[in-house]
Amino acid sequence: MQELVQIDRLTKIYERGEVLALNDISTSVGKGEFLVLLGLSGSGKSTLLRCVNRLIEPTAGTILFDGEDVTKARSRQLRHLRRRMAMIFQQFNLVKRSTVLTNVLSGRLGYASPAASAIHKFSKKDIELAMANLERVGIPEQAYKRADELSGGQQQRVGIARALMQQPDLLMADEPVSALDPATAHSIMQYLEQMNREDGVTVMTSLHFLSLARRYGSRILALKDGEIVFEGSPAEIDKVKFKEIYGEDAEEVEVR
Amino acid sequence: MPKKSKFAKPHPIRDRLQAIRPRFMAFMLDWATWGFVAYAVMFLLQRYWWRYINFYEPLKLPVWGWPAVILGTLEMALLTHALFHTPGMAAFHVRLVGKDLQDLPLAQRFLRFLKMNATLLAQPAVFFMRNRRPERLLHDSPSTGMVVPTTLLKDVVPAKKPRPWFFTYRGLFLLGLLGVTFWLGWLISTMAPHMLVDRWPYAARIWGELVDVQFEYLLVDVNTKGQLFSIVYHMIETIFIALFATALGTLLAFPLSFLAARNIMGFSPLGWGIYLTMRFLFNAIRSIESLLIAVVFAVWVGFGNPFAGSLALLIHTVAALGKLFSEQVESVDPGPLEAMAASGARRWQVVIYGVIPQVIPSYLAFTLYRWDINIRMATIIALVGGGGIGTLLFYWKNEVGRPGENAWGQVGAVVIAIIVIVWLMDYISGRIREKIG
Repeated sequence: MQELVQIDRLTKIYERGEVLALNDISTSVGKGEFLVLLGLSGSGKSTLLRCVNRLIEPTAGTILFDGEDVTKARSRQLRHLRRRMAMIFQQFNLVKRSTVLTNVLSGRLGYASPAASAIHKFSKKDIELAMANLERVGIPEQAYKRADELSGGQQQRVGIARALMQQPDLLMADEPVSALDPATAHSIMQYLEQMNREDGVTVMTSLHFLSLARRYGSRILALKDGEIVFEGSPAEIDKVKFKEIYGEDAEEVEVR
Repeated sequence: MPKKSKFAKPHPIRDRLQAIRPRFMAFMLDWATWGFVAYAVMFLLQRYWWRYINFYEPLKLPVWGWPAVILGTLEMALLTHALFHTPGMAAFHVRLVGKDLQDLPLAQRFLRFLKMNATLLAQPAVFFMRNRRPERLLHDSPSTGMVVPTTLLKDVVPAKKPRPWFFTYRGLFLLGLLGVTFWLGWLISTMAPHMLVDRWPYAARIWGELVDVQFEYLLVDVNTKGQLFSIVYHMIETIFIALFATALGTLLAFPLSFLAARNIMGFSPLGWGIYLTMRFLFNAIRSIESLLIAVVFAVWVGFGNPFAGSLALLIHTVAALGKLFSEQVESVDPGPLEAMAASGARRWQVVIYGVIPQVIPSYLAFTLYRWDINIRMATIIALVGGGGIGTLLFYWKNEVGRPGENAWGQVGAVVIAIIVIVWLMDYISGRIREKIG
């Protein structure tokens, strides 16, 4: 399989050397893969995802995205790389006071003409694409509402529509369903699966529930204290491996 | 959990400074407290000296007086620091304990006081001595006590039923301090309530004439027959001074506030430079009262010219709103900004789509708040020649003193006009606030 993201000896140290978040991590993500990151809170999942698009500056190591070195990219090149990798967030990260449509269109800012975007003007094509994406996630009728009038599940769908605006090669999701109820969680995960299968978007997502990881993931990467403790297919995770990832006292909780 | 890493380098000076900071601050606070006590004693001595002790010769300190005061306060700070749980120690959460982190007997506390006296001067040298653990600084030893952060003592010192705070040494001391402060305050601000009664006849005359309001001055000045010197004309002038200052001030403060926000500018050395400069400018200008700025402009563009008052209020408004606005920018939800940056948006696009929608409501609220302040300031800025209704207030007030003149009625009319303006504008801005809130 061709590699989309190659991570080589990635290390991240926070707070003047106080906290070691990622310790010498090397792995790669193939094109079309659905990679699930597992691990306790603070194990380094979010840091790993944010290092890939450099929302967090890595301390050492290299990350290749489609052959280009993300860690060495200067501002313009970095923006062009970031356009190709979309991200959705646990807390949705929408501008609450803006309309849903504006929020979705803001995913297109990297492509939009700078002058026009300065006065809130988007091309007709972009607006049509935004409406099409809202339709795709099933909430076209909410387009002109304010984002904070929507329910949590609907807000995350807006987040997905915003990510779709980038027509990305890679979708990173940072615990996309942790703030949602189980039923909504599945519908959100199904949109990710759909993007993965139909559009061929590579997905990297961190999840809290092993059952969701088993159901949707094609490969699992488990982190503990900033180190990789498991890498392989979902079927390989048994009771022993589970305790290795989550510690001796952990019990598995299922989401159906 | 992320583990403490081996990457943290030990740093002798920094570590020691960190270890020593709370106890140093505690000591300095206690020393300053005793300094205040000394000041109070000196003040009271001098104040009552001529009254009760020697009317003919003022109190004079000998040459060694001030060094003695400084040393005396230092000794008192050392003594209380060794014997009691002082206000400074309480404020910085440190405590003097002995072996096994238990409470220290009185004799050993006193021994500690003597020891500290003996080597007080050597302290700077002790700090830089190598191979001494930071906690061993300042005579800390199990026998004569150690000053440690109270967080270390949570499980060690048995929980005792606490006395009511005012019944501890510290509480009594603080109460005494409070009493002395009030005593000093009373003397320094020359409180004399009996004056209010003794001199009532003088006030009664003014109050009486003030309520005999001369309403004929509202539209036309009776003396000069001029409309331009009427009260209503100056009311309108006042409102426009405030309006000009607020509107233009908001327009200027809006872009400047982004330059003074850390989360917008803090990405490059140049940005940091601009951020620090803007913050310094805002703070510096904000701390100059607009009456003072108006003094300069009154000389510059003409005494009594409303333009001078508008400019003064404008400058103060830009600085004050710039500060408030930039704090709003700094407290926006960073999530959406992160999301936009992650999608490859330029930084200024992130500001337009992520920051501005979030700050608009509070910007409006602050602008209205500033409008209220500017209206109030515009009514008195004429004191230094800034124009507005205050021009009449101070003109008529000064007329009072002339022989054969009695202008308190005109002053009364102006005061009523001021009340009307302020009330009206408050009402309007209140209604707008309701609408947007």
